[in-house]
Amino acid sequence: MDSITTAASVVAAGLAVGLGAIGPGIGQGSAAQGAVEGIARQPEAEGKIRGTLLLSFAFMESLTIYGLVVALVLLFANPFAG
Amino acid sequence: MEVGSATEPTLNLPLSEEVLKDSSEEYVQLQQRIFLTTVVVCLFGAALSAVFYGFTTSMSLLIGGISGLLYLRLLARSIGKLGKSTKSVGKVQLIVPVLLVLAVSKLPQLEFFPAMLGFLLYKPSLIIQEFLVSKTQVISE
Repeated sequence: MDSITTAASVVAAGLAVGLGAIGPGIGQGSAAQGAVEGIARQPEAEGKIRGTLLLSFAFMESLTIYGLVVALVLLFANPFAG
Repeated sequence: MEVGSATEPTLNLPLSEEVLKDSSEEYVQLQQRIFLTTVVVCLFGAALSAVFYGFTTSMSLLIGGISGLLYLRLLARSIGKLGKSTKSVGKVQLIVPVLLVLAVSKLPQLEFFPAMLGFLLYKPSLIIQEFLVSKTQVISE
């Protein structure tokens, strides 16, 4: 792999993780805040709130995982490496 | 500001231990249902891929599915701790896809796309689970 491809891959990996984590990070923080507030107001609904939070977190975090996977592929299994 | 004013009504009903315990058990049951559905979907996918694509693809899909189960378990544990012992959801579960991609890149016996597809098989099971829950709620109403 030549040096330009290596440099571009490293920069792209950093951007993929960094930019890909912004949106889900904001969303997860907002969802967790709402869930904790909801549990504090209605402790009897804790199970339902945590269940809904689990489902929403699983879907939100997959967006971060996509970025992570792209970054790891670029770093460890780069298809552009000659 | 006076607590419990007309604009912000507060609920001060005493909650019994049973109600709180039932609520916690509901979350545990949901986790068990999701894990069971994910196991079924993974085994079904692995069997189908073994028939149509061969043993290597099936093994990669199965390992990805096991990783997805582990990820989901760690995520559920992090969410279970939220508000009790920690204020934020942990990120330990993100180590699972990292290890999976590293393993796939280092081991020639594993294939990348089946492994990632197997890892993401928890999403269909979540959708199936949510669909079943909403359907039972509609029937009970």
